[in-house]
Amino acid sequence: MTGKKPTVTAAIILSGMCVLPLGLGIYPQHVLITSLFYVMMAASWNLLAGYTGQVSFGHAAMAGVGAYTSGILAAKAGIDPWIGVCLGTLLAGLLGLGLGSLCLKMGGIYLSLTTLAFSQILHIIIVNEYDVTRGTMGLQVPGLMAEYSKLSYYYIMLAAAAALLAVIYRMIHSNLGMNFRAVQNDETAAASLGVKVLQMRVLAFTVASAMAGFAGALYGHYLLLITPEIPSLDLQFYVLAMTVIGGMGSFIGPIIGAFTLNILAEKIRDYGEYHVLVFGLVALTMARFAPNGLTGIWSRLRRRSTSAARPPAAA
Amino acid sequence: MTLLEGRAISKSFGGVQALIDVDFSVSAGSIVGLIGPNGAGKTTLFNAVAGAFKPTSGKVLFNGQEITGLPASTICRMGVARTFQVTRPFAAMTCLENVMVAAINRRPEEPRPAIERRAREQLGFVGISELAAVEARHLNVIQKKRLELARALATEPTLLLLDEVMGGLNTQEINQAVAFIRRLRDERGLTVLWIEHVMGAVMQAAEWIIVLDQGRVLMTGAPQEVVNDERVIQAYLGD
Repeated sequence: MTGKKPTVTAAIILSGMCVLPLGLGIYPQHVLITSLFYVMMAASWNLLAGYTGQVSFGHAAMAGVGAYTSGILAAKAGIDPWIGVCLGTLLAGLLGLGLGSLCLKMGGIYLSLTTLAFSQILHIIIVNEYDVTRGTMGLQVPGLMAEYSKLSYYYIMLAAAAALLAVIYRMIHSNLGMNFRAVQNDETAAASLGVKVLQMRVLAFTVASAMAGFAGALYGHYLLLITPEIPSLDLQFYVLAMTVIGGMGSFIGPIIGAFTLNILAEKIRDYGEYHVLVFGLVALTMARFAPNGLTGIWSRLRRRSTSAARPPAAA
Repeated sequence: MTLLEGRAISKSFGGVQALIDVDFSVSAGSIVGLIGPNGAGKTTLFNAVAGAFKPTSGKVLFNGQEITGLPASTICRMGVARTFQVTRPFAAMTCLENVMVAAINRRPEEPRPAIERRAREQLGFVGISELAAVEARHLNVIQKKRLELARALATEPTLLLLDEVMGGLNTQEINQAVAFIRRLRDERGLTVLWIEHVMGAVMQAAEWIIVLDQGRVLMTGAPQEVVNDERVIQAYLGD
Protein backbone atom coordinates (compact mmCIF):
# COMPACT_ATOMS: atom_id res chain seq x y z
CA MET A 1 0.00 0.00 0.00
CA THR A 2 2.69 2.42 0.97
CA GLY A 3 4.60 1.30 -2.11
CA LYS A 4 1.76 2.26 -4.45
CA LYS A 5 0.97 5.72 -3.13
CA PRO A 6 4.19 7.54 -4.10
CA THR A 7 4.01 6.01 -7.59
CA VAL A 8 0.49 7.36 -8.04
CA THR A 9 1.44 10.79 -6.71
CA ALA A 10 4.47 10.88 -8.99
CA ALA A 11 2.38 9.86 -12.00
CA ILE A 12 -0.16 12.63 -11.31
CA ILE A 13 2.52 15.29 -10.86
CA LEU A 14 4.36 14.08 -13.94
CA SER A 15 1.28 14.24 -16.14
CA GLY A 16 0.59 17.71 -14.78
CA MET A 17 4.15 18.71 -15.67
CA CYS A 18 3.62 17.31 -19.19
CA VAL A 19 0.72 19.62 -19.99
CA LEU A 20 2.04 22.59 -17.99
CA PRO A 21 4.17 24.28 -20.72
CA LEU A 22 1.64 23.82 -23.54
CA GLY A 23 -0.17 27.13 -23.14
CA LEU A 24 2.92 29.05 -22.08
CA GLY A 25 5.17 31.38 -24.04
CA ILE A 26 8.87 30.89 -24.76
CA TYR A 27 10.06 32.76 -21.68
CA PRO A 28 8.07 30.85 -19.04
CA GLN A 29 9.11 27.65 -20.80
CA HIS A 30 12.74 28.72 -20.42
CA VAL A 31 12.20 29.35 -16.71
CA LEU A 32 10.71 25.87 -16.33
CA ILE A 33 13.64 24.26 -18.14
CA THR A 34 16.21 25.99 -15.94
CA SER A 35 14.11 25.05 -12.90
CA LEU A 36 14.35 21.39 -13.92
CA PHE A 37 18.14 21.73 -14.15
CA TYR A 38 18.17 23.14 -10.62
CA VAL A 39 15.86 20.36 -9.41
CA MET A 40 18.47 17.84 -10.55
CA MET A 41 21.29 19.83 -8.97
CA ALA A 42 19.56 20.39 -5.63
CA ALA A 43 18.18 16.85 -5.37
CA SER A 44 21.59 15.28 -5.99
CA TRP A 45 23.34 17.70 -3.63
CA ASN A 46 20.72 16.81 -1.03
CA LEU A 47 21.51 13.11 -1.48
CA LEU A 48 25.01 13.95 -0.33
CA ALA A 49 24.45 16.72 2.23
CA GLY A 50 20.97 15.85 3.46
CA TYR A 51 21.34 12.10 3.69
CA THR A 52 25.00 11.47 4.51
CA GLY A 53 25.85 14.85 6.06
CA GLN A 54 28.74 15.67 3.73
CA VAL A 55 28.78 19.26 2.55
CA SER A 56 30.42 19.51 -0.86
CA PHE A 57 31.15 22.88 -2.45
CA GLY A 58 32.15 21.19 -5.68
CA HIS A 59 28.73 20.26 -6.93
CA ALA A 60 28.52 23.12 -9.43
CA ALA A 61 32.08 22.28 -10.47
CA MET A 62 30.93 18.73 -11.27
CA ALA A 63 28.12 20.15 -13.37
CA GLY A 64 30.82 22.17 -15.12
CA VAL A 65 32.86 19.01 -15.71
CA GLY A 66 29.83 17.41 -17.33
CA ALA A 67 28.97 20.47 -19.41
CA TYR A 68 32.50 21.16 -20.66
CA THR A 69 33.31 17.50 -21.33
CA SER A 70 30.25 17.01 -23.47
CA GLY A 71 30.52 20.50 -24.99
CA ILE A 72 34.19 20.25 -25.96
CA LEU A 73 33.74 16.76 -27.40
CA ALA A 74 30.80 17.92 -29.49
CA ALA A 75 32.25 21.26 -30.58
CA LYS A 76 35.85 20.15 -31.25
CA ALA A 77 35.58 16.47 -32.11
CA GLY A 78 32.07 16.34 -33.52
CA ILE A 79 30.98 13.65 -31.11
CA ASP A 80 27.25 13.16 -30.78
CA PRO A 81 25.97 15.24 -27.82
CA TRP A 82 24.06 12.29 -26.36
CA ILE A 83 27.28 10.25 -26.17
CA GLY A 84 28.96 13.37 -24.79
CA VAL A 85 26.34 13.58 -22.02
CA CYS A 86 27.13 9.99 -21.03
CA LEU A 87 30.87 10.64 -21.06
CA GLY A 88 30.43 13.87 -19.07
CA THR A 89 28.40 11.98 -16.48
CA LEU A 90 31.04 9.27 -16.33
CA LEU A 91 33.94 11.71 -15.95
CA ALA A 92 32.20 13.63 -13.16
CA GLY A 93 31.50 10.33 -11.40
CA LEU A 94 35.13 9.23 -11.74
CA LEU A 95 36.37 12.58 -10.43
CA GLY A 96 33.95 12.17 -7.52
CA LEU A 97 35.32 8.71 -6.85
CA GLY A 98 38.91 9.98 -6.94
CA LEU A 99 38.32 13.08 -4.81
CA GLY A 100 36.11 11.11 -2.44
CA SER A 101 38.64 8.33 -1.91
CA LEU A 102 41.34 10.94 -1.31
CA CYS A 103 39.66 13.13 1.25
CA LEU A 104 36.68 11.34 2.76
CA LYS A 105 38.90 9.26 4.99
CA MET A 106 39.75 12.45 6.84
CA GLY A 107 36.07 13.16 7.38
CA GLY A 108 34.44 16.25 8.77
CA ILE A 109 35.24 19.54 7.14
CA TYR A 110 37.95 18.21 4.81
CA LEU A 111 35.51 17.32 2.06
CA SER A 112 34.14 20.86 2.15
CA LEU A 113 37.62 22.37 1.97
CA THR A 114 38.88 20.05 -0.76
CA THR A 115 35.80 20.51 -2.94
CA LEU A 116 36.02 24.28 -2.47
CA ALA A 117 39.62 24.17 -3.70
CA PHE A 118 38.68 21.82 -6.54
CA SER A 119 35.94 24.13 -7.70
CA GLN A 120 38.28 27.14 -7.71
CA ILE A 121 41.02 25.25 -9.55
CA LEU A 122 38.56 24.10 -12.19
CA HIS A 123 37.26 27.65 -12.59
CA ILE A 124 40.76 29.02 -13.09
CA ILE A 125 41.62 26.33 -15.63
CA ILE A 126 38.46 26.95 -17.63
CA VAL A 127 38.96 30.73 -17.66
CA ASN A 128 42.60 30.44 -18.70
CA GLU A 129 42.59 27.57 -21.20
CA TYR A 130 41.09 29.87 -23.78
CA ASP A 131 41.97 27.71 -26.80
CA VAL A 132 39.97 24.78 -25.51
CA THR A 133 37.22 26.39 -23.46
CA ARG A 134 36.92 29.91 -24.94
CA GLY A 135 37.32 31.22 -21.38
CA THR A 136 34.78 33.74 -20.18
CA MET A 137 33.61 34.26 -23.74
CA GLY A 138 31.90 30.93 -23.52
CA LEU A 139 32.03 27.85 -25.70
CA GLN A 140 29.44 27.49 -28.43
CA VAL A 141 28.14 23.95 -28.55
CA PRO A 142 25.60 22.14 -30.72
CA GLY A 143 22.16 21.30 -29.37
CA LEU A 144 20.76 17.90 -28.58
CA MET A 145 18.51 17.97 -31.64
CA ALA A 146 18.94 19.18 -35.19
CA GLU A 147 16.02 21.54 -34.78
CA TYR A 148 15.88 23.84 -31.77
CA SER A 149 12.59 23.70 -29.91
CA LYS A 150 11.98 24.87 -26.35
CA LEU A 151 9.20 22.38 -25.90
CA SER A 152 11.38 19.41 -26.88
CA TYR A 153 14.08 20.58 -24.48
CA TYR A 154 11.47 20.90 -21.79
CA TYR A 155 10.40 17.27 -22.25
CA ILE A 156 14.00 16.07 -22.34
CA MET A 157 14.81 17.89 -19.11
CA LEU A 158 11.58 16.67 -17.53
CA ALA A 159 12.36 13.06 -18.44
CA ALA A 160 15.93 13.45 -17.17
CA ALA A 161 14.79 15.02 -13.89
CA ALA A 162 12.12 12.35 -13.39
CA ALA A 163 14.62 9.55 -14.02
CA LEU A 164 17.18 11.10 -11.69
CA LEU A 165 14.60 11.63 -8.96
CA ALA A 166 13.39 8.04 -9.37
CA VAL A 167 16.97 6.79 -8.84
CA ILE A 168 17.36 8.99 -5.75
CA TYR A 169 14.00 7.83 -4.39
CA ARG A 170 14.92 4.17 -4.83
CA MET A 171 18.28 4.78 -3.20
CA ILE A 172 17.03 6.52 -0.08
CA HIS A 173 14.35 3.88 0.43
CA SER A 174 16.77 0.98 0.09
CA ASN A 175 19.29 -0.43 2.54
CA LEU A 176 21.75 2.05 1.12
CA GLY A 177 19.61 5.00 2.19
CA MET A 178 19.25 3.53 5.65
CA ASN A 179 23.04 3.24 5.92
CA PHE A 180 23.48 6.79 4.59
CA ARG A 181 21.25 8.15 7.34
CA ALA A 182 22.97 6.06 9.98
CA VAL A 183 26.33 7.51 8.88
CA GLN A 184 24.91 11.02 9.03
CA ASN A 185 23.41 10.52 12.48
CA ASP A 186 26.42 8.93 14.17
CA GLU A 187 29.23 7.34 12.23
CA THR A 188 30.87 5.68 15.25
CA ALA A 189 27.63 3.93 16.14
CA ALA A 190 27.03 3.09 12.47
CA ALA A 191 30.46 1.43 12.17
CA SER A 192 29.83 -0.53 15.36
CA LEU A 193 26.71 -1.99 13.73
CA GLY A 194 28.53 -3.14 10.61
CA VAL A 195 28.01 -0.10 8.34
CA LYS A 196 31.02 0.44 6.07
CA VAL A 197 31.16 4.16 6.75
CA LEU A 198 33.91 5.16 4.34
CA GLN A 199 32.43 3.12 1.50
CA MET A 200 29.03 4.72 2.04
CA ARG A 201 30.47 8.22 1.95
CA VAL A 202 32.53 7.65 -1.18
CA LEU A 203 29.55 6.02 -2.87
CA ALA A 204 27.23 8.93 -2.07
CA PHE A 205 29.81 11.43 -3.29
CA THR A 206 30.44 9.50 -6.52
CA VAL A 207 26.76 9.13 -7.33
CA ALA A 208 25.98 12.77 -6.50
CA SER A 209 28.91 13.96 -8.61
CA ALA A 210 27.85 11.86 -11.59
CA MET A 211 24.32 13.25 -11.28
CA ALA A 212 25.63 16.82 -11.25
CA GLY A 213 27.72 16.01 -14.33
CA PHE A 214 24.66 14.62 -16.06
CA ALA A 215 22.53 17.68 -15.23
CA GLY A 216 25.33 20.05 -16.28
CA ALA A 217 25.92 18.29 -19.60
CA LEU A 218 22.25 18.46 -20.58
CA TYR A 219 22.01 22.06 -19.45
CA GLY A 220 25.03 23.02 -21.56
CA HIS A 221 23.47 21.58 -24.70
CA TYR A 222 20.29 23.47 -23.92
CA LEU A 223 22.01 26.82 -23.40
CA LEU A 224 24.18 26.26 -26.51
CA LEU A 225 26.78 28.46 -24.87
CA ILE A 226 28.79 27.10 -21.94
CA THR A 227 30.41 29.70 -19.72
CA PRO A 228 32.38 29.45 -16.45
CA GLU A 229 29.17 30.48 -14.72
CA ILE A 230 28.12 26.83 -14.56
CA PRO A 231 31.11 25.67 -12.47
CA SER A 232 30.96 28.78 -10.25
CA LEU A 233 30.51 29.25 -6.56
CA ASP A 234 27.53 31.49 -7.32
CA LEU A 235 25.70 28.54 -8.79
CA GLN A 236 26.95 26.33 -5.96
CA PHE A 237 25.48 28.57 -3.30
CA TYR A 238 22.31 29.00 -5.30
CA VAL A 239 21.86 25.20 -5.23
CA LEU A 240 22.74 25.14 -1.55
CA ALA A 241 20.14 27.82 -0.78
CA MET A 242 17.50 25.92 -2.76
CA THR A 243 18.15 22.75 -0.78
CA VAL A 244 18.26 24.47 2.61
CA ILE A 245 15.18 26.58 1.95
CA GLY A 246 13.25 23.69 0.45
CA GLY A 247 14.20 21.27 3.20
CA MET A 248 17.43 19.34 3.55
CA GLY A 249 17.19 15.60 4.10
CA SER A 250 13.72 15.31 2.64
CA PHE A 251 12.97 14.00 -0.84
CA ILE A 252 10.52 16.75 -1.78
CA GLY A 253 12.46 19.63 -0.19
CA PRO A 254 15.02 20.33 -2.93
CA ILE A 255 12.35 20.04 -5.65
CA ILE A 256 10.18 22.66 -3.94
CA GLY A 257 13.23 24.80 -3.20
CA ALA A 258 14.51 24.70 -6.78
CA PHE A 259 11.20 25.78 -8.32
CA THR A 260 10.46 28.40 -5.66
CA LEU A 261 13.84 30.09 -5.80
CA ASN A 262 14.34 29.90 -9.53
CA ILE A 263 10.92 31.36 -10.31
CA LEU A 264 11.37 33.95 -7.57
CA ALA A 265 14.78 34.85 -8.99
CA GLU A 266 13.21 35.55 -12.38
CA LYS A 267 10.59 37.77 -10.73
CA ILE A 268 13.12 39.88 -8.88
CA ARG A 269 15.67 39.93 -11.69
CA ASP A 270 15.10 43.69 -12.04
CA TYR A 271 17.01 44.27 -8.83
CA GLY A 272 20.14 42.90 -10.40
CA GLU A 273 22.41 40.42 -8.67
CA TYR A 274 20.96 41.22 -5.26
CA HIS A 275 18.75 38.15 -5.41
CA VAL A 276 21.75 35.96 -4.55
CA LEU A 277 22.32 38.07 -1.43
CA VAL A 278 18.64 37.88 -0.50
CA PHE A 279 18.59 34.09 -0.93
CA GLY A 280 21.72 33.79 1.20
CA LEU A 281 20.04 35.70 4.01
CA VAL A 282 16.81 33.73 3.67
CA ALA A 283 18.77 30.45 3.72
CA LEU A 284 20.66 31.55 6.86
CA THR A 285 17.44 32.54 8.61
CA MET A 286 15.79 29.28 7.64
CA ALA A 287 18.79 27.25 8.83
CA ARG A 288 18.50 28.96 12.22
CA PHE A 289 14.73 28.98 12.73
CA ALA A 290 13.37 26.30 10.41
CA PRO A 291 16.16 23.77 9.86
CA ASN A 292 13.82 21.48 7.93
CA GLY A 293 12.98 24.17 5.41
CA LEU A 294 9.66 24.80 3.71
CA THR A 295 8.73 21.11 3.84
CA GLY A 296 9.46 21.13 7.58
CA ILE A 297 7.23 24.18 8.13
CA TRP A 298 4.48 22.54 6.05
CA SER A 299 4.50 19.27 7.99
CA ARG A 300 4.63 21.15 11.28
CA LEU A 301 1.55 23.19 10.33
CA ARG A 302 -0.24 20.06 9.23
CA ARG A 303 0.57 18.26 12.44
CA ARG A 304 -0.68 21.22 14.44
CA SER A 305 -3.99 21.38 12.57
CA THR A 306 -4.62 17.63 12.91
CA SER A 307 -3.76 17.63 16.61
CA ALA A 308 -6.01 20.66 17.15
CA ALA A 309 -8.87 18.92 15.40
CA ARG A 310 -8.57 15.81 17.52
CA PRO A 311 -8.82 15.62 21.29
CA PRO A 312 -5.35 15.20 22.79
CA ALA A 313 -4.58 11.49 22.74
CA ALA A 314 -2.23 9.81 25.17
CA ALA A 315 1.39 9.68 23.97
CA MET B 1 37.34 -22.65 24.77
CA THR B 2 38.62 -19.11 24.56
CA LEU B 3 36.45 -16.80 22.47
CA LEU B 4 38.25 -13.51 23.00
CA GLU B 5 41.85 -13.01 23.93
CA GLY B 6 44.03 -9.96 24.47
CA ARG B 7 47.82 -10.29 24.37
CA ALA B 8 49.94 -7.51 25.82
CA ILE B 9 47.61 -4.76 24.64
CA SER B 10 48.97 -1.26 25.15
CA LYS B 11 47.46 2.02 24.12
CA SER B 12 48.83 5.49 24.64
CA PHE B 13 47.24 8.81 23.85
CA GLY B 14 50.10 11.25 23.44
CA GLY B 15 52.01 10.85 26.69
CA VAL B 16 49.22 9.13 28.58
CA GLN B 17 49.45 5.37 28.87
CA ALA B 18 45.84 4.25 28.99
CA LEU B 19 46.59 0.53 28.73
CA ILE B 20 49.83 -1.22 29.62
CA ASP B 21 50.48 -4.83 28.57
CA VAL B 22 46.95 -6.01 29.20
CA ASP B 23 46.52 -9.78 28.93
CA PHE B 24 43.06 -11.25 29.31
CA SER B 25 40.82 -13.95 27.96
CA VAL B 26 37.09 -14.57 27.84
CA SER B 27 35.87 -18.13 27.43
CA ALA B 28 32.93 -18.92 25.18
CA GLY B 29 29.55 -18.89 26.89
CA SER B 30 30.68 -17.02 29.98
CA ILE B 31 29.69 -13.74 31.55
CA VAL B 32 32.82 -11.79 32.42
CA GLY B 33 32.80 -8.57 34.41
CA LEU B 34 35.37 -5.87 33.69
CA ILE B 35 35.71 -3.59 36.68
CA GLY B 36 38.08 -0.98 38.00
CA PRO B 37 38.08 2.59 39.29
CA ASN B 38 37.42 5.54 36.99
CA GLY B 39 40.19 6.00 34.44
CA ALA B 40 41.41 2.42 34.78
CA GLY B 41 41.15 1.93 31.00
CA LYS B 42 38.02 -0.21 30.75
CA THR B 43 36.35 1.65 27.91
CA THR B 44 39.72 2.07 26.17
CA LEU B 45 40.07 -1.71 26.22
CA PHE B 46 36.59 -2.05 24.68
CA ASN B 47 37.49 0.41 21.96
CA ALA B 48 40.67 -1.48 21.17
CA VAL B 49 38.78 -4.78 20.98
CA ALA B 50 35.83 -3.45 18.93
CA GLY B 51 38.00 -1.59 16.44
CA ALA B 52 37.15 1.98 17.38
CA PHE B 53 40.92 2.47 17.32
CA LYS B 54 44.03 0.36 16.93
CA PRO B 55 46.04 -0.50 20.04
CA THR B 56 49.57 0.95 20.08
CA SER B 57 50.89 -2.58 20.48
CA GLY B 58 49.62 -6.03 21.31
CA LYS B 59 47.12 -8.37 19.73
CA VAL B 60 43.40 -9.03 19.91
CA LEU B 61 42.19 -12.49 18.93
CA PHE B 62 38.58 -13.42 18.36
CA ASN B 63 37.75 -17.08 17.76
CA GLY B 64 41.47 -17.67 17.37
CA GLN B 65 41.67 -15.13 14.52
CA GLU B 66 43.63 -11.93 14.85
CA ILE B 67 41.35 -8.87 14.61
CA THR B 68 43.81 -6.21 15.81
CA GLY B 69 43.24 -2.93 14.00
CA LEU B 70 40.45 -4.16 11.74
CA PRO B 71 37.69 -1.61 11.04
CA ALA B 72 34.83 -1.60 13.54
CA SER B 73 32.35 -2.61 10.82
CA THR B 74 34.38 -5.72 9.96
CA ILE B 75 34.72 -6.75 13.60
CA CYS B 76 30.96 -6.32 13.99
CA ARG B 77 30.32 -8.51 10.96
CA MET B 78 32.54 -11.19 12.54
CA GLY B 79 30.18 -11.35 15.50
CA VAL B 80 31.25 -8.75 18.06
CA ALA B 81 28.60 -6.24 19.12
CA ARG B 82 28.94 -3.41 21.60
CA THR B 83 27.00 -0.76 23.44
CA PHE B 84 28.38 2.65 24.35
CA GLN B 85 28.78 4.09 27.83
CA VAL B 86 27.28 7.35 26.63
CA THR B 87 24.55 6.11 24.30
CA ARG B 88 24.84 6.90 20.61
CA PRO B 89 21.38 6.50 19.06
CA PHE B 90 20.67 7.62 15.49
CA ALA B 91 18.77 10.57 16.88
CA ALA B 92 16.75 11.55 13.82
CA MET B 93 15.70 7.98 13.01
CA THR B 94 12.89 6.02 14.62
CA CYS B 95 13.68 3.24 17.10
CA LEU B 96 12.62 0.68 14.51
CA GLU B 97 14.96 2.21 11.92
CA ASN B 98 17.77 2.28 14.47
CA VAL B 99 17.52 -1.46 14.91
CA MET B 100 16.95 -2.07 11.21
CA VAL B 101 20.34 -0.55 10.41
CA ALA B 102 21.93 -3.35 12.39
CA ALA B 103 19.73 -6.02 10.81
CA ILE B 104 20.27 -4.98 7.17
CA ASN B 105 24.02 -5.09 7.55
CA ARG B 106 23.87 -8.54 9.09
CA ARG B 107 21.49 -9.82 6.42
CA PRO B 108 21.81 -7.60 3.34
CA GLU B 109 19.97 -10.09 1.13
CA GLU B 110 16.88 -10.35 3.27
CA PRO B 111 13.73 -8.52 2.04
CA ARG B 112 12.52 -5.47 3.93
CA PRO B 113 9.48 -7.05 5.68
CA ALA B 114 11.63 -9.81 7.17
CA ILE B 115 14.21 -7.26 8.34
CA GLU B 116 11.47 -5.20 9.92
CA ARG B 117 10.10 -8.26 11.70
CA ARG B 118 13.54 -9.05 13.10
CA ALA B 119 13.95 -5.49 14.29
CA ARG B 120 10.55 -5.52 15.99
CA GLU B 121 11.47 -8.77 17.70
CA GLN B 122 14.55 -7.17 19.22
CA LEU B 123 12.60 -4.12 20.34
CA GLY B 124 10.15 -6.50 22.01
CA PHE B 125 12.96 -8.48 23.61
CA VAL B 126 14.32 -5.36 25.34
CA GLY B 127 10.79 -4.20 26.16
CA ILE B 128 10.36 -1.05 24.07
CA SER B 129 8.00 -2.30 21.33
CA GLU B 130 5.68 0.63 21.88
CA LEU B 131 8.46 3.07 20.94
CA ALA B 132 9.06 1.58 17.47
CA ALA B 133 7.75 4.62 15.57
CA VAL B 134 9.26 7.22 17.92
CA GLU B 135 12.40 9.12 16.89
CA ALA B 136 15.30 8.10 19.10
CA ARG B 137 16.01 11.68 20.22
CA HIS B 138 12.77 11.66 22.22
CA LEU B 139 13.85 8.72 24.40
CA ASN B 140 15.00 9.00 28.00
CA VAL B 141 18.38 7.64 29.08
CA ILE B 142 17.11 4.22 30.10
CA GLN B 143 15.10 3.79 26.92
CA LYS B 144 18.17 4.79 24.93
CA LYS B 145 20.19 2.11 26.68
CA ARG B 146 17.56 -0.47 25.83
CA LEU B 147 17.50 0.69 22.23
CA GLU B 148 21.25 0.34 22.02
CA LEU B 149 21.02 -3.17 23.35
CA ALA B 150 18.34 -4.04 20.79
CA ARG B 151 20.57 -2.65 18.05
CA ALA B 152 23.55 -4.65 19.25
CA LEU B 153 21.48 -7.84 19.43
CA ALA B 154 20.15 -7.28 15.90
CA THR B 155 23.70 -7.72 14.59
CA GLU B 156 23.33 -11.32 15.86
CA PRO B 157 26.63 -11.36 17.72
CA THR B 158 28.40 -14.21 19.47
CA LEU B 159 30.20 -11.78 21.78
CA LEU B 160 28.45 -8.83 23.38
CA LEU B 161 30.43 -5.97 24.91
CA LEU B 162 28.31 -4.06 27.41
CA ASP B 163 29.58 -0.71 28.65
CA GLU B 164 27.85 0.34 31.90
CA VAL B 165 24.30 -0.62 31.13
CA MET B 166 23.15 -0.33 34.75
CA GLY B 167 23.87 3.35 35.32
CA GLY B 168 20.77 5.24 36.46
CA LEU B 169 18.70 2.16 37.31
CA ASN B 170 17.03 1.56 40.68
CA THR B 171 17.45 -1.65 42.66
CA GLN B 172 14.45 -3.38 41.16
CA GLU B 173 15.49 -2.42 37.64
CA ILE B 174 19.01 -3.63 38.30
CA ASN B 175 17.68 -7.04 39.32
CA GLN B 176 15.65 -7.19 36.13
CA ALA B 177 18.68 -6.21 34.07
CA VAL B 178 20.82 -8.88 35.74
CA ALA B 179 18.18 -11.47 34.92
CA PHE B 180 18.11 -10.12 31.37
CA ILE B 181 21.86 -10.51 30.91
CA ARG B 182 21.65 -14.07 32.21
CA ARG B 183 18.90 -14.78 29.69
CA LEU B 184 21.11 -13.48 26.89
CA ARG B 185 23.66 -16.10 27.77
CA ASP B 186 21.33 -18.96 28.73
CA GLU B 187 18.76 -18.57 25.95
CA ARG B 188 20.78 -17.04 23.15
CA GLY B 189 24.16 -18.56 23.92
CA LEU B 190 25.90 -15.17 23.96
CA THR B 191 29.24 -14.56 25.57
CA VAL B 192 29.19 -11.32 27.54
CA LEU B 193 32.06 -9.03 28.48
CA TRP B 194 30.61 -6.40 30.71
CA ILE B 195 31.97 -3.15 32.14
CA GLU B 196 30.03 -2.19 35.25
CA HIS B 197 30.25 0.24 38.12
CA VAL B 198 27.28 -1.22 39.97
CA MET B 199 29.30 -3.80 41.87
CA GLY B 200 26.38 -5.76 43.30
CA ALA B 201 25.00 -6.42 39.82
CA VAL B 202 28.22 -7.56 38.24
CA MET B 203 29.10 -9.80 41.20
CA GLN B 204 25.65 -11.45 40.93
CA ALA B 205 25.77 -12.25 37.24
CA ALA B 206 29.41 -12.70 36.27
CA GLU B 207 31.36 -15.91 36.70
CA TRP B 208 34.70 -14.30 36.19
CA ILE B 209 36.01 -10.82 36.92
CA ILE B 210 38.86 -8.86 35.38
CA VAL B 211 40.04 -5.91 37.46
CA LEU B 212 41.84 -3.06 35.73
CA ASP B 213 43.68 -0.34 37.60
CA GLN B 214 45.71 2.47 36.02
CA GLY B 215 45.85 0.69 32.68
CA ARG B 216 47.08 -2.64 34.03
CA VAL B 217 45.37 -5.88 34.96
CA LEU B 218 45.31 -5.81 38.75
CA MET B 219 43.88 -9.30 39.13
CA THR B 220 41.46 -11.79 37.62
CA GLY B 221 39.33 -14.30 39.47
CA ALA B 222 35.92 -15.48 40.61
CA PRO B 223 33.70 -12.72 42.09
CA GLN B 224 34.23 -13.98 45.67
CA GLU B 225 38.02 -13.88 45.39
CA VAL B 226 37.95 -10.43 43.85
CA VAL B 227 35.74 -8.71 46.41
CA ASN B 228 37.89 -9.98 49.25
CA ASP B 229 41.23 -9.13 47.68
CA GLU B 230 43.25 -6.48 49.51
CA ARG B 231 44.65 -4.95 46.30
CA VAL B 232 41.18 -4.50 44.78
CA ILE B 233 39.83 -2.89 47.92
CA GLN B 234 42.81 -0.54 47.95
CA ALA B 235 42.42 0.34 44.31
CA TYR B 236 38.83 1.36 44.92
CA LEU B 237 39.26 3.04 48.29
CA GLY B 238 42.71 4.51 47.75
CA ASP B 239 45.57 4.32 50.24
